[in-house]
Amino acid sequence: MRHILSTALLALACIALLLCSAPLVQAANLKQELASQSAIEQVLRRGVLRVGMSTFEPWAMKDKDGEFMGYEIDVANRLAQDMGVKLELVHTQWSGIIPALLTGKFDMIIGGMSIRPDRALKVNFSIPYNVTGMSLVAHRQKAQGFSKLQDFDKPGVVIAARTGTSAAQAAQKYLPKATLRLFDSEPQALQELLNGNAHAFVSTAPKPAFEAIAHKDKLFLPFSGTFTSEPNAIAVRKGDPDALNYLDSWIRAVQAEGWFAERYTYWFETRDWANRLP
Amino acid sequence: MHPQRTTSFTGLDAVLLLVLAGAAGWLAWRVTTVLGYDWDWSFLGRTILRRSEDGSLAPGLLLKGFVATLRLAAWTMLLALAAGVAAGLCRVSRSLFLRLCARTYVETMRNTPPLVLVFLFYFFVGDWIMTALGAQELAYGLSEAWQERLAWIMAPPGRLAAFLSALTTLALYEGAYIAEIVRSGVQSIERGQWEAAYALGLSRWQRMTRVILPQALRRMIPPLAGQFISTIKDSSIVAVISIPELTFEGLELMAATYRTFEIWLTVLGLYLLACLACSLAARRLETRLARRAA
Repeated sequence: MRHILSTALLALACIALLLCSAPLVQAANLKQELASQSAIEQVLRRGVLRVGMSTFEPWAMKDKDGEFMGYEIDVANRLAQDMGVKLELVHTQWSGIIPALLTGKFDMIIGGMSIRPDRALKVNFSIPYNVTGMSLVAHRQKAQGFSKLQDFDKPGVVIAARTGTSAAQAAQKYLPKATLRLFDSEPQALQELLNGNAHAFVSTAPKPAFEAIAHKDKLFLPFSGTFTSEPNAIAVRKGDPDALNYLDSWIRAVQAEGWFAERYTYWFETRDWANRLP
Repeated sequence: MHPQRTTSFTGLDAVLLLVLAGAAGWLAWRVTTVLGYDWDWSFLGRTILRRSEDGSLAPGLLLKGFVATLRLAAWTMLLALAAGVAAGLCRVSRSLFLRLCARTYVETMRNTPPLVLVFLFYFFVGDWIMTALGAQELAYGLSEAWQERLAWIMAPPGRLAAFLSALTTLALYEGAYIAEIVRSGVQSIERGQWEAAYALGLSRWQRMTRVILPQALRRMIPPLAGQFISTIKDSSIVAVISIPELTFEGLELMAATYRTFEIWLTVLGLYLLACLACSLAARRLETRLARRAA
């Protein structure tokens, strides 16, 4: 009888101990799991960093060899190099790039993505590593005499832009009275302007300025400078603090070197790379 | 078979050719003057064949895309044929269950736009299947040499999931049409053939494979050829999920060079080339089969 009692007591004590320690064990497991589930950890295990991007001149475009080049490609390459892994660029249509990140097609987006509140509800952003702004280029005949942004905010004015971009949003926000016509790629939007079916094409600087130079006889810059200022950052999936911390640290370190500024000058303020185009 | 009528070049042909050339010229002139488009064909040679850094010849962007299109189309045809023949035979099966299954498959695929299917598959179904198969990890685990071979046969490991999603969607989509071609081919064979084969004491399987299908195949060739040509053209849809095929590479080139018209026209020409080759091959196959039957 006593035998049974002591065994029962022992068993009870064991159960009590287990119950007390369970949360601790669980918490430790959770931490481990969180760390091992991090995109950074997965990249290191795989030995390959998968980066989602889309084609935007001069952020990312194909060169003569069919390889990608551009400002964002340099950033992605540098990140992979600093992590000691191979880089794999996963090209995705810009309009579907956030769903593709969420469904795990790649580990992060490095594609000149501007931090926007509506995007931040779906993805987590690192600290910004670059600041860009919107500008517009207009058609000489159709937009004759237009010299400031307000001139374009009129019914009957047609603005061309690319679907899902900040340019499209900026046009909607700053030119609500104008008609916005969206295209899946920038060349299509520009062609609409060149064909004289639109008054202006909104895109991230310096693209509009470059186009005004390339088509001097047809296009002009109604005003210089940008009408928005947008911080660009790397986007990762939610619930991954490790990845965010790593990217923030990496950006701070590389920024201190002056590397981002140097690359920015090369891609955005010179045309030294034009001979690498197909 | 009809006796071949001899053809000769007449005045009417000359007039027609002149009218066609004039229409093409007028179109080019309009684009140049009205839209003010300055044509520049100088870079297009490089997109087909180019000299790489070390002086050797290398395929350009569009040629790479063209090869990728042919590769995707070949895989799609193979799988679509398998799916289509299986579903088509189920459509004429004696089991109600099989008939219902095949009918459901055909109607779902035939009555939905392929573009939407490609998206759905890529974002939802594809992921789930890839994870279940572990295809991506498997591909990454291959040795360098095998990874290169895989890139030649299908796609590099990183793009494998996307490629397989695209391939599956296209194959299922085209397979639905092939199923109907197979069904109509089998059902077009006269009842007497079935009865004669039955009278010879052949089992149902033997009747189908030895008597009915060989005859049905000859009637299926023209619509099947049409379907194969459609497959080559439909493969351009998967550009939306960034499969690096001809249309996609064309879009990429435009993004870099902004030479819209020249690139679209070249892409059009390449598709025409592939589809015409397919048409000619189908025609030769038809005449050969007809000769064998005669």
